[in-house]
Amino acid sequence: MAQEGTIEQGFATAKLDDLVNWARTGSMWPMTFGLACCAVEMMQAGAARYDLDRFGMLFRPSPRQSDVMIVAGTLTNKMAPALRKVYDQMAEPKWVISMGSCANGGGYYHYSYSVVRGCDRIVPVDVYVPGCPPTAEALIYGVLQLQKKIKKTSPISRKRELEDAKRHLEGQPT
Amino acid sequence: MIHQNMNQLVLTLEPMLGNTLLSHQINLGELTLEIDARHIRSACETLRDQAGFDQLTDLCGVDYSGYGAEDGDPWSGERFAVVYHLISYHHNQRIRIRAQLPETDPSIDSVIEIWPAADWFEREAFDLYGIIFHGHPDLRRLLTDYGFIGHPFRKDFPLSGQVEMRYDEEQGRVIYQPVTIEPRILVPRTIRKDVFNRGDNEPGHSAAAEDNA
Repeated sequence: MAQEGTIEQGFATAKLDDLVNWARTGSMWPMTFGLACCAVEMMQAGAARYDLDRFGMLFRPSPRQSDVMIVAGTLTNKMAPALRKVYDQMAEPKWVISMGSCANGGGYYHYSYSVVRGCDRIVPVDVYVPGCPPTAEALIYGVLQLQKKIKKTSPISRKRELEDAKRHLEGQPT
Repeated sequence: MIHQNMNQLVLTLEPMLGNTLLSHQINLGELTLEIDARHIRSACETLRDQAGFDQLTDLCGVDYSGYGAEDGDPWSGERFAVVYHLISYHHNQRIRIRAQLPETDPSIDSVIEIWPAADWFEREAFDLYGIIFHGHPDLRRLLTDYGFIGHPFRKDFPLSGQVEMRYDEEQGRVIYQPVTIEPRILVPRTIRKDVFNRGDNEPGHSAAAEDNA
């Protein structure tokens, strides 16, 4: 919200929280982690028709440059340590989108001997996108949900964290 | 040596293979040779060098335990088998070889020196069925996780396995723990006596069909 008269002076005012969130949501670079057929829909979301670039999302080949990991496909036992390693290598702040039935809860392979029954057993997940596979629109909807989620945080004033801590000290449920 | 039908091919192959060939059958216009597992190497060498089957297109294991029991026609052969698919570009012909292996000693000679393509196929069959291929230079597991215990495609392997994986916060790494989900029967009822198999085992049937085509 602009202060009275500052625009004429050449200034714009904003909350630093909003500015940080604007930067974070406007350039969520996803770690390319395509594991199965969901990856094809993820590529489709990144290609010309749906164009994730519009949301400032550029697929990165390195976890060091990524903010969000899209787990796109079946996570097997053999892949799980690699997934966790890549997640640990990502710089904070970082988010995870679980894409498709297999990543959400094992899906078709829930009873298999070799598949992790949901990638949330390995990494903390922010947004679950349902579908088998989810359409490119569904993935983009999930991305927009994640943006909403990020916008609700206050990274500078830590308003929510302070309130939570206060409630915790007073013995109230958070 | 281009064979008009499978029966002619069998007549050519029979003297070459001698007593390593136990039996043969022609189903759906495809020839399957039953080979004595103890002589698989010499039989395969003969098929490559004398019969012109230059390429191995597939090699896989089979677990026959419980096979056909539901139809009242239980399998009378050995528990395990190794199946080879060969192609001869020169003769434009494909054949299938099956070698049966007993449950007590599921092992067979490797054919990697005859067809190098057998490398990963044999590793896969070893991984999933526990079939040992003598003479394979690097018989490691191919598909399952490092340190995996058991052979998951064996019929007595539980579908959901013995262990499952999760991340452990305290140890800071991914760990295995015993499976927590309830086991479920997920085997669909199979009907093997379908319309395609009827009458196909009669000799000459598929050859006649081929002649018409």
